Amino acid sequence: MKKIKIKIFFFLSIAFLMQSCEDDLNVIPEDPNQLSVDEFYAQEGAYKQAIAGVYGNLSLTGTLGAGSSNIGGIDAGTSQYGRVLWYMQNLSTDEVIWSYENDPGTREIQRNIWNSSNPIILGMFSRAMFQVALANEFLRQSTPELLSSRGISDASTLSEIEEYRNEARALRALSYYHLMDLFGKAAFNTENDAVGVAGPEYNRAQLFEFIESELVEVLPNLKAPRTNESGRLDQAFARMILAKLYLNAEVYIGENRYTECADQCSAIISSGYSLATNYLNNFNADNDTSPEAIFYVQSDGVVTQNFGPTTVMINGQVGSLEGNGSQFGVGGWGGALRLRKQFVQKFDGEDFDNDVRNTIISGVREIEISDVANRDQGFILAKYSNISSTGIAGISTTFVDADFPMFRLADVYLMYAECAVRGAGSASLSQALTYVNALRERANNGSQSANISQGDLNLDFLIDERSRELHWEGHRRQDLIRFNKYTGGEYNWAWKGNGSNGVSISSNLKLYPIPIASLASNPNLTQNPGY
Amino acid sequence: MKTISKKLLFLLLLLPLSVLAQSTVNGVVTDKASGQPLPGVNVIIKGTTKGTTTDFDGKYMLSNVNSGEVIEFSYVGFTSQDVPYTSQKTINISLEEETAKLDEVVLVGYGTVKKKDATGSVTQVSAKDFNKGANVTAENLLNGKVAGVTINTSGAPGSGSEIRIRGGSSLLASNDPLIIIDGLPISNSGNQGSTSILSSINPNDIESMTILKDASATAIYGSRASNGVIIINTKRGSKTLQVEYNFQYGTGNTDGEIDVFSGNEYRDLLIGTFDDQGNQITQGIGNAQQIALLGDANTNWQKAIYRRTDFVDNNLSIKGNLFGAIPTRLSVGNTYQEGLRLTNAFTRNSVSLNLSPSMFKDHLKFRVSANYTNQRNRFADGVEGSAIRFDPTQPIYDENSPYDGFFEYFNPNLPGNPFLNPSPANPVAQLLQTNDRGVNNRLFGNFEVDYKFHFLPELRAVVNLGYDRSDGERTRFRSRNARSGFLNDNISQGTRFSEENLRTNKLLDFYLVYNKQFGKLNFEGTAGYSYQKFENEGFAGFDAADPTQVRRAFVDTDVVLLGYFGRANLNLSDKYLLTLTYRRDGTSRFGPENRWGNFPSVAFAWKIKDDFFKDSTILSDLKFRAGWGITGQQDIAQATFSQQIYNVGDPNSQYTIGGQPINVGVPSAFGPIKWEETATYNIGLDYGFAENRLNGSLDLFYKLSNDLFQTAPFADGSNFSNQGPQNVGDMSTKGVEFSLNYDVVKTENLNWNIGFNATKFERRIEKIALGSPLFVGQSGAGTGGTSQILQEGFTPFSFFVYKQLYDESGAPIEGAFADLNNDGIINGDDRYIYKNPDPDLLLGFTSNLNYKNFDFSFNLRASIGNRVLNGVESTRSYYTLIQNGVLENISTNVLNTNFQNQNGENVLSDMFVENASFLRMDFATIGYTFPEWLGGKASLRLFTGVQNAFVISKYGGLDPEVTGGFDNTIYPRQRQFLFGANVKF
Repeated sequence: MKKIKIKIFFFLSIAFLMQSCEDDLNVIPEDPNQLSVDEFYAQEGAYKQAIAGVYGNLSLTGTLGAGSSNIGGIDAGTSQYGRVLWYMQNLSTDEVIWSYENDPGTREIQRNIWNSSNPIILGMFSRAMFQVALANEFLRQSTPELLSSRGISDASTLSEIEEYRNEARALRALSYYHLMDLFGKAAFNTENDAVGVAGPEYNRAQLFEFIESELVEVLPNLKAPRTNESGRLDQAFARMILAKLYLNAEVYIGENRYTECADQCSAIISSGYSLATNYLNNFNADNDTSPEAIFYVQSDGVVTQNFGPTTVMINGQVGSLEGNGSQFGVGGWGGALRLRKQFVQKFDGEDFDNDVRNTIISGVREIEISDVANRDQGFILAKYSNISSTGIAGISTTFVDADFPMFRLADVYLMYAECAVRGAGSASLSQALTYVNALRERANNGSQSANISQGDLNLDFLIDERSRELHWEGHRRQDLIRFNKYTGGEYNWAWKGNGSNGVSISSNLKLYPIPIASLASNPNLTQNPGY
Repeated sequence: MKTISKKLLFLLLLLPLSVLAQSTVNGVVTDKASGQPLPGVNVIIKGTTKGTTTDFDGKYMLSNVNSGEVIEFSYVGFTSQDVPYTSQKTINISLEEETAKLDEVVLVGYGTVKKKDATGSVTQVSAKDFNKGANVTAENLLNGKVAGVTINTSGAPGSGSEIRIRGGSSLLASNDPLIIIDGLPISNSGNQGSTSILSSINPNDIESMTILKDASATAIYGSRASNGVIIINTKRGSKTLQVEYNFQYGTGNTDGEIDVFSGNEYRDLLIGTFDDQGNQITQGIGNAQQIALLGDANTNWQKAIYRRTDFVDNNLSIKGNLFGAIPTRLSVGNTYQEGLRLTNAFTRNSVSLNLSPSMFKDHLKFRVSANYTNQRNRFADGVEGSAIRFDPTQPIYDENSPYDGFFEYFNPNLPGNPFLNPSPANPVAQLLQTNDRGVNNRLFGNFEVDYKFHFLPELRAVVNLGYDRSDGERTRFRSRNARSGFLNDNISQGTRFSEENLRTNKLLDFYLVYNKQFGKLNFEGTAGYSYQKFENEGFAGFDAADPTQVRRAFVDTDVVLLGYFGRANLNLSDKYLLTLTYRRDGTSRFGPENRWGNFPSVAFAWKIKDDFFKDSTILSDLKFRAGWGITGQQDIAQATFSQQIYNVGDPNSQYTIGGQPINVGVPSAFGPIKWEETATYNIGLDYGFAENRLNGSLDLFYKLSNDLFQTAPFADGSNFSNQGPQNVGDMSTKGVEFSLNYDVVKTENLNWNIGFNATKFERRIEKIALGSPLFVGQSGAGTGGTSQILQEGFTPFSFFVYKQLYDESGAPIEGAFADLNNDGIINGDDRYIYKNPDPDLLLGFTSNLNYKNFDFSFNLRASIGNRVLNGVESTRSYYTLIQNGVLENISTNVLNTNFQNQNGENVLSDMFVENASFLRMDFATIGYTFPEWLGGKASLRLFTGVQNAFVISKYGGLDPEVTGGFDNTIYPRQRQFLFGANVKF
């Protein structure tokens, strides 16, 4: 009997032991940088970290440095938001060529022969949609109910989180604007959708309407221009997206909205921005302090390392023959980026002899690029720099301190001018001329020698002037499409359509294809025509 | 530890070397094969209880033997001999090892089974059958020995191997088999400072390695068994004292080079060649500016980065019965192996202690196994890529160079002598100026208690506790005179790199075994419970010379595995065998709803010989086996993918708000994931002829893996990534394995044994996420280029390339590819699937020949039909690559292709996919044994041999044995010449 009791006790204790061990299967992360949702939001300042995560997705590709990525199907560093945007808006045009066509997707982008399995196109679609997901997550995690259940009741904290919520909505609108512009459609997910739900397809008109209404609604609740903390957006950011929306409304939805565009431009212009005295101060290591910065995407040699557009452009500017890395404070990538002839020719003529925007280095180089792989052919550029306005080089020679100028005042001037030329009721041609000449005078160190007259101010002038002022800033493809110079054969540039002198390309290329993986994973999405 | 060894030594001194008595019979018992004395042989007068055992020298003495009595000499594993006593003074006996291996006991999960009763596909290789030669890591003891097992080891000393059993079962989860050392499953993750997982085990301490291949054998390991199981059993103590000392010395060198231009050839290539009169014979390809960059030297950079190597291996082991009650084995080993790369070396110091005492008439058995390994490595990262591109007309040294006198490309006119950009770094300097060291201390072992109940002897309870702790660190230093350090503005800042981690692995197994004979039926039941926990933490890699880097601690999420298992073995009339197993496993990697998996198996065996060929003298064994089972796989990188996690940005991943950098908080993707499941069907035949002088097996198998992990796309915007692990793929593997073991000659003086095995298997992806292919592998050019594909209906990792077009003379036309979709554009849509890296047929052959005291062994290994994308030629066969800032060398294959430009299409031309079939001899050794050395007190075997004797292949690259199918230069395997001695006391 005693033996049996001992046996029963023995087996019971084993059973108990096993049960308690089963609880060990519920593991939680122990890494100081990995937290469960509840742990994360229980921290002091968690919501600031979370909104920094949404902003940060414009700069960072992952949480473990420049080589990490939270999206796949594309090289981690290449998947940086601004970089894929820059590839799609600039590399596909007359402004630049990438020497290393082995880098997957680059050849097809710069020769306008892409297909739906292009990793860069996938990177853009996925990175922008990831931004939508991050914004939605922030909105889901910051509802009044959750805030109160997490014990956040301090009024100033609550109002700060409310500001973040509005900014998250504006950031989401920015990404939907990029998707609408590049792809003409997107999966539509909001904070009301649960994680894991494939969103329905929204076409261009639907996205246009959503972005417009969302920004109009959120705008009054955003901080006034130039009053928010640095690194955060304000009303001018929202107005800028609205202005872009209206400027391209004929392309997007077939409607003339130039008047509304000019209104938004005027509102921005009157809110305290001014041109940087030196044009180049918008592109150097301390360009975040430029008075014309409306929204610059951060990059930093230490705290915000990324292979984004400024790191790529500054390292890429360094010539294969020149080895001029020290001119820009970087090591350089042996001649990765060069200029196509048609862009170089935008600066032909005496008007541009002293134009500081003309940073082209010709040296012993030939202007033609007959062989894309030959990095000694073609002129190179010196617009961006990892050296500050006071001559101090960034701490890292790979990861630059220069921020990417996504929205700046000079663009607004030129948008206003374009609206005026295109007949916007709320814009005047004389004011337009003033703005254009303000840029000219700045470009010529205050000299009016290169100023234009009213008669010169026309659309042909503006499309070229936009390129002279705003080249390599992520606008070119959109501009060329708006001026009907992108597809077709009216305007050809070197390697357009895979011809060394450029050939006509099909009009369906105005929109990029939905990536094949995105189509497969979301059955609601349909492919764009011609792919 | 120290006291134990002292006590052993004391015992050794006290031991009488021989005891002589008059008018009794005495003699020596030796092993017929080796001629060495056999201690512990039972010498018994038949039909009585009188008897003795041989001593340490194989000697025995038996008194009071009556004429006419029969003396029996018996020893486990050897055929017993009976000798009638006719008043001989001396009877010397040499016992022969049993060739019939059917009584051999093989290890299976949580127990053992007699080989003749095995129902699954199990192969056990014991120490005496291990590969000979210089085997630094355990898995190389097996290479080529076992059908269905491929082992691909890098040339780096002590480096790990890609081990595949039946090709593996997964796509993106691990394909590594489960490795179990003395009952402790070990983690397949390597540790800092160590070269590989199995490099911590001294191969001399291994008693046997058992490969479990089919699911009926592996299913008892449930969730980790899909890729097969390797059970390593270490040597134990013995009842008698034995001391063994092994010594090996080897010296190695390279075997061949990658074909690039020599200095003279390179000058001729650029300048052209001229006859004696100065008339140009051939045109050079270089322009004036390039020709001006040529140097005068003739440097073979591939020779310059390698050296002749030394290898020294010492191992001393003492076996005995401590205090007359505790069978003990203590082994001390030291291995030093230099790598071919100038500075690379592997050092291992190991101590292994094994105690196996038993009490209460063997009712209570203990087994303690403790292993400590101190590994010290000097690592050398690959410089082959630099060596094949560095200008061969430049010297290694330059007395004017500020970089420790090494030739480098720098600008002497600028402050700090910055390096030219772009330009490659001198590969010799990269090696010699880098001090890259790793230290790893690993303690692992187990403590097992096996209790046979006093009140119920049919029932045993076993508790096994295992522990594995590996503590490693790696440091890398370079001075500011080293170009390969951290560069700032092209000026070297040197390197001060460090990383470290600590891994632990704890195991508790508890199980009960019940064994009873019911009439004709023998029943054995096993039921148990297993708990295991893996932990890892440390500091991530950090270079203090780079001011932008920050040292960061990390803690991996624990992985906890828990299982309940049971097995029933039914044996009817010793003819019909049935094995049923079941395991229920839980893993912390998955959420509660998907955490548990069930893994059953059934196997049946029928000893046909006993039913139909009972009286056959030719056929000695014929057994049919059939089995089915389900196994799992849960080994994916993400430990917590089932739960939503917020990742906090590291110090380089911050966003600045209001001037204050903020560590970003970013949610991670998550989703429901569960086990991969593999169903395996296996039928086999074990055969033996002529008393099993010829024996072997034939197995047919089919595996179907379902719910394979794949990194599959998520609908964009719906989750916190565009892709993540999902259980979406299916893959099948079918194959045949054949093995044969034959004692060709078996006489007193001459013995010749051969082994042969052949494997054919075919893997096919049956289903892939959303039917959309995944692009994998590398192209060797560009950032993120791929050359392989996972596509439904094809072998995984098939090559995905362009179809090259050729002119009438058969020469490839540069840039001309077949427009396979006929759209007039050559782009990614024109790539096609062409061949794959899997072999069509694998063959292994071993031969062991003994003539008197000579022995001669070798093996051969062949792989037929495996393809390799020759990455060196695909990326370096272009004339324009002669200059990238400075001059660079290119592959001589350019003379065949005449290609000018490296671009995304050319590097993916199908002409670079080569047939890499090969025949390789891993080793050949010849030895001679002095059985009566030191006046019979010891035996001595001296041997010499060659490691990696030869490889025959038409493959154009350096070595056809490449992992993954893409050859982007490898660490070359050295050819070593060996000399060694083996002494047994």
